[in-house]
Amino acid sequence: MDKNQAIIDYLITCPKIQDNPLYFNFIHGNEDDKQIITTGNEKTIDRPYVDGSVLKRFTFTIIDFKSVAYRAVVKDGVHVDENVEDILQVQDIIDWIEEQNEIRNFPNFGEDCIVESIATTANNPNLNGVDSNVSPALAKYSISIQVNYIDVSKVLWK
Amino acid sequence: MPVTQFNLADHQRAERKTLLTVAAWNETVEGATTEVRELLGRRTEDSSIEYNADIATSTDILGINYTDINKTQPQQDFDPYLILGGSKLGAKLNDIRRRNALSEMSQFTIYIITAFCGTDGAYEAEKHINCTITYNSMGGDANVNFPISVYLSNDSVTGTVDKLGDDFEFTQDA
Repeated sequence: MDKNQAIIDYLITCPKIQDNPLYFNFIHGNEDDKQIITTGNEKTIDRPYVDGSVLKRFTFTIIDFKSVAYRAVVKDGVHVDENVEDILQVQDIIDWIEEQNEIRNFPNFGEDCIVESIATTANNPNLNGVDSNVSPALAKYSISIQVNYIDVSKVLWK
Repeated sequence: MPVTQFNLADHQRAERKTLLTVAAWNETVEGATTEVRELLGRRTEDSSIEYNADIATSTDILGINYTDINKTQPQQDFDPYLILGGSKLGAKLNDIRRRNALSEMSQFTIYIITAFCGTDGAYEAEKHINCTITYNSMGGDANVNFPISVYLSNDSVTGTVDKLGDDFEFTQDA
């Protein structure tokens, strides 16, 4: 089972993702586009157990593109909350991941992998930068997600 | 009986997973008794059989040492031993703990299987009866840890197992 495809299949069940274009690694970003970026994992974090199973980690990042409003949040008594509302939408993805972990709804990594947990590495989105070459300018919010799983493919005991 | 050679290539190291400790006990359901088995070591990163040899050494007037081994008391600790869904032994030990049924902790059969000896279909093994498994503590941080110690009885026979799985058949050596 390809873990990248499993992650795509999993994320498109998220209400905040399924109605927007989702890209894998490469994108020419537009407002509300989502991008999955794969991340290499150091093998040094693998934890082998005496029965031959190994605890491993699969890490990826979701980039969420949001248009930028270059306006003060409060000016002359008027509130402009566009940027705040945008980041709350990104926050919804983090909350969804946490809910899925609670109810143990995990990506399907195949019968040789038992998924232990899925979690974001931060409690709130990270602002990675702003692409000012497009109009409107797009903010790139990122969420890093870790899937911990037990690889049982080398276990002798069946 | 000739010594069985390792089923490894020259200089190949035996992987840890080829040394298996299996706990077994009888359960009776509707009059039928079956042996329930479980491989030990899930989520345990390091565990060894400690033989705890009781050794007495004396030295004669020529300076020669004579070492006697009076007994061995093999023991194997599993720490962490996590409370895991689907763990039959974990549930069994927790039931014993709740009832404080201490004598039931000494009614286990333990199989030590050396999968680096023998062939597919006949791996060398030892069967120890009336072994003791104790739970040492319960708790921990994020997950419930229930570390255990296995005390082998040395009331054992040697033999082989035909497969590496709960439904193996143990055949005692002639």
